[in-house]
Amino acid sequence: MLILKTLALEPMHGYGVALRIEQVSQGVFRVNPGSLLPALARMERAGHVKCEWRTSENNRRAKYYMLTARGRKALVTESETWSRQVSAISRIMEA
Amino acid sequence: MGLPGNIAQGIRSFFRRQALERDLDDELRDFIDASTAEKVRRGMPVDQAAHAARVEMGSANAVKHHIRSATWESKMEIFLRDLKHCVRGLLRSPGFTLIAVLSLALGIGANTAIFTLIKQVLLQNLPVRNPQQLVTFGKSTDGGILGGIDLGTADMFTYDFARQLETNPGPFQGVAAYTSLAPRVSVRVSNSAAALQIPANPVSGNFFHVLGAAPLLGRTIAPFDAATPHSNAVAVVSYHFWQQSLSSDPAAIGKTISINGKPFTVIGVMPAAFHGITQELNPPEIWVPITMVQEILLQPGFLEPRSYYFLHMVARRSPQSTPGADQAWLNRQIRDYVRAGEGASIAPARQQEIEHIAVRLVSAAHGVSQLRSRYGDSLKILMAIVAVVLLIACANLANFLLARAIARQREVATRLALGSSRARIIRQCLMEALILSLSGGVFGLGLAFAATRTLIAFVAQGTTNTPLDARPDSAMLWFTLAVSVLAGLLFGLAPALQVSRSSAMPTLNAGARTATGSGARTNRWWPKALVTVQIMFCLLLLVGAGLFLRTLRNLEDQDYGFERAHLLIATFAPELAGYKPEQVPSLNQRLIERLSAIPGVRSAALSETPPISSGAWTSSISLSGYTPAPKENMLSVLNRVSGHYFETAGIPIVAGRAIAPSDSANSMKVAVINETIARRFFPKGDAIGHTLKINIDSVEGPWQIVGIARDTRAGDPRENPERMVYVPLAQVIGKHGEGIQDSFASTILLRTAGDPASAIGELRGAVASIDPNLPILQVRTMQDQLETLMSQETLVSRLTAIFAALAVLLAAIGLYGVMSFNVVRRSNEIGIRIALGATGSGVQWMVLRESLALLGAGLALGIPIALAAAGLIRAQLYQMSPFDPVIFIGATAGIAAVTVLSAWFPARRAATFDPMTSLRCE
Repeated sequence: MLILKTLALEPMHGYGVALRIEQVSQGVFRVNPGSLLPALARMERAGHVKCEWRTSENNRRAKYYMLTARGRKALVTESETWSRQVSAISRIMEA
Repeated sequence: MGLPGNIAQGIRSFFRRQALERDLDDELRDFIDASTAEKVRRGMPVDQAAHAARVEMGSANAVKHHIRSATWESKMEIFLRDLKHCVRGLLRSPGFTLIAVLSLALGIGANTAIFTLIKQVLLQNLPVRNPQQLVTFGKSTDGGILGGIDLGTADMFTYDFARQLETNPGPFQGVAAYTSLAPRVSVRVSNSAAALQIPANPVSGNFFHVLGAAPLLGRTIAPFDAATPHSNAVAVVSYHFWQQSLSSDPAAIGKTISINGKPFTVIGVMPAAFHGITQELNPPEIWVPITMVQEILLQPGFLEPRSYYFLHMVARRSPQSTPGADQAWLNRQIRDYVRAGEGASIAPARQQEIEHIAVRLVSAAHGVSQLRSRYGDSLKILMAIVAVVLLIACANLANFLLARAIARQREVATRLALGSSRARIIRQCLMEALILSLSGGVFGLGLAFAATRTLIAFVAQGTTNTPLDARPDSAMLWFTLAVSVLAGLLFGLAPALQVSRSSAMPTLNAGARTATGSGARTNRWWPKALVTVQIMFCLLLLVGAGLFLRTLRNLEDQDYGFERAHLLIATFAPELAGYKPEQVPSLNQRLIERLSAIPGVRSAALSETPPISSGAWTSSISLSGYTPAPKENMLSVLNRVSGHYFETAGIPIVAGRAIAPSDSANSMKVAVINETIARRFFPKGDAIGHTLKINIDSVEGPWQIVGIARDTRAGDPRENPERMVYVPLAQVIGKHGEGIQDSFASTILLRTAGDPASAIGELRGAVASIDPNLPILQVRTMQDQLETLMSQETLVSRLTAIFAALAVLLAAIGLYGVMSFNVVRRSNEIGIRIALGATGSGVQWMVLRESLALLGAGLALGIPIALAAAGLIRAQLYQMSPFDPVIFIGATAGIAAVTVLSAWFPARRAATFDPMTSLRCE
């Protein structure tokens, strides 16, 4: 879900996603390539992201991932599920 | 992308493997570069940054592996790689693979062949709507025409009763009737001159409607077709007839064919799978309305009320009513009918009798089948036998695969230590087993196809139109697949369990020179148990084969009461050629004269039924000098025979004289009875001289008894001989000496000097020279006829013998393999024993002792089971006890011999072990 959200802002390559997640979560989530890249491959097979080869900032050939319409829908569903879970947990914790 | 896109991507990646690999490398390298750049931007020194980035990622190969295993094609790749590995492993031991696949092919093929037959003979539903609602009144397997009986006897009914129930079916949806025999009729199609003799079946108007059978072309017989007697000459033909005689002409509807000389219009063609309600060899091919029955049976009077009992009945039950209510209603209808025919007052004893009349409703979902009653039990026995053979083959394979698994213990331990999942290794074991069983299944399918054709050809015995089909259908394929998979799982179980129990730590004492060093004790248990089970099954099969072969021999040696060699029998039908009863006596005379003149024929005779057949001409008789007890059965089978019948058939006369040519129309009416009648009614032996009367008006008598003939055995030699009364053919005439309906003779007998088969052509020629239109329905030597009667026993005994031999061979191979493997495994131990002073013969005895122990255990289990099984098949045997000691001892000796022989060679090899070599090599 975090990957989907990150890609929702703009298409980026693998390391960009890892960097963004680490930055925005202020170091709480540190994703390493061993889990990020397989997750991206799975999402590509599920049809949530699609990829293309572009030149990156330092003029290298890099694989860029972008969100598809399906991915956007998946993101919406997953964030709804997440907020339901969060409100349930907070209700329990406050009770 | 969804599922199809996923699959497409996966398939595409198969072909672009190298490019994808490069892409993956690029991506990882790029990741590391970007990570390094970021770290440098944050202030780390360059080389430290690079190192940190690489450490963060971990092993590039591991990451690549993770990425690849996120997709489905990696699993497929693993599967395919395992498959290749297994296949290569199997191909590396070609001998083992060949024997395994062959034995499985034989086992699975045999199972499929028998299953196909069972499905067609026992299980197949009629090709009609809702067949499970159909019931017949009684079993309806016997056909014929009876008179003077109570309604419902032998499941036969009269025309007016059938009509009554047709209009008022009571709780049934509909009640229909059909003639119990489908006689051959002479059929001529318009533009061909030759006449064919084809079985035809008159049926009631609602027959097709009640059955729920839809036609392929045109329409079926409807109630209005059967409204008026002797009109509406319409016919519905079978697919086979339409194909053969009408050349599959789509415009065949409306054409006219001539049946027994009368024109009939074809109104419909039935689909290929429809054979009426009966399933038998030579099913009816033409259906006509019941009102045309006289034209088909060539005899009048069937449609008169309470005249002849000749119809079987079938009904379709309604889902709302219960079987009990239906049964009760039917019994009531029958009893009311009988009571109505008795007249005003009925004696109380007779009332009681009538109250007990009942005709059972029998489910007809599978049709009425003589094939089923004939072969049903044999097929079930054969199914059990082929299942046992397959189990023996599976036990062999389980042993073999177990041996391989044990030999590969080191390999398995190494793989486990290197990180392979145990599940994958077990999967590979099962895969190996399934590869073997599925290849066995594929070959078995081909074998089954050939075997099914042979079996059906045997069962059909030369008839061209049988309802049995040898073509493979989906049920056959599914069955083969299921049996292959089950067999594979069955024998793959043992080695898989073995692997699951093995440990990653290589067995510490694998190389140790102790008795337990070569594998745990539990490893020895499986092979022993399997071999014991194999021996038990083999004993069962050998006993079965012995019993059936003995039965067949007993049947073949049976004395049927007449001379069976050099006898030719032909069936002919003058009524189909249009002969009237008045013309028959002269025809018979001419035939006898012409047939006797054939060179090579010692004598010729005519009769109504041949000596082996039980005959349908029956009646009660009354004998002078004998008063029957009340309710005593005075029925006897009758036969009308020409002058030289007894010497032609070779039936000895035990007292008095035979019927001679001098017994002509003008001389005294004489009769010959058989021993059964003489013993029963004239125990003092004074039968000759008494007279007898027959309860059929046309041949009432009185007939003077002039001779007693030896009993002949009818079709089923298991039954007691029937009572027979022989009267001269020439004396079956009307009041003024003219021929009557009963003057027809249908059988020609020829006793030849040489081989009877060589006289067939001459016979046909002789008949044709008298009348070329006289149809000969069948010509056979008596030997062939008897062989067809024993076809069921021949089939079962031959197949059982073949399967028993196969099973013994498989068990011998299995035992040999197990013993060899044990000896090889224990080579260290044996080497030590020999080095310590054991003699060669001592070692040999040690190995043999093991196999004898298995033999003993197998026999201990097998003999009680064989005794129980023999008791079960008592009904199949003939003139012998199922516990025949000779057969049991023979089977035991056979198994023991095979066991000792198979164990001999490995034992011999063990005795010749050189301790130096066996202890040195590891």
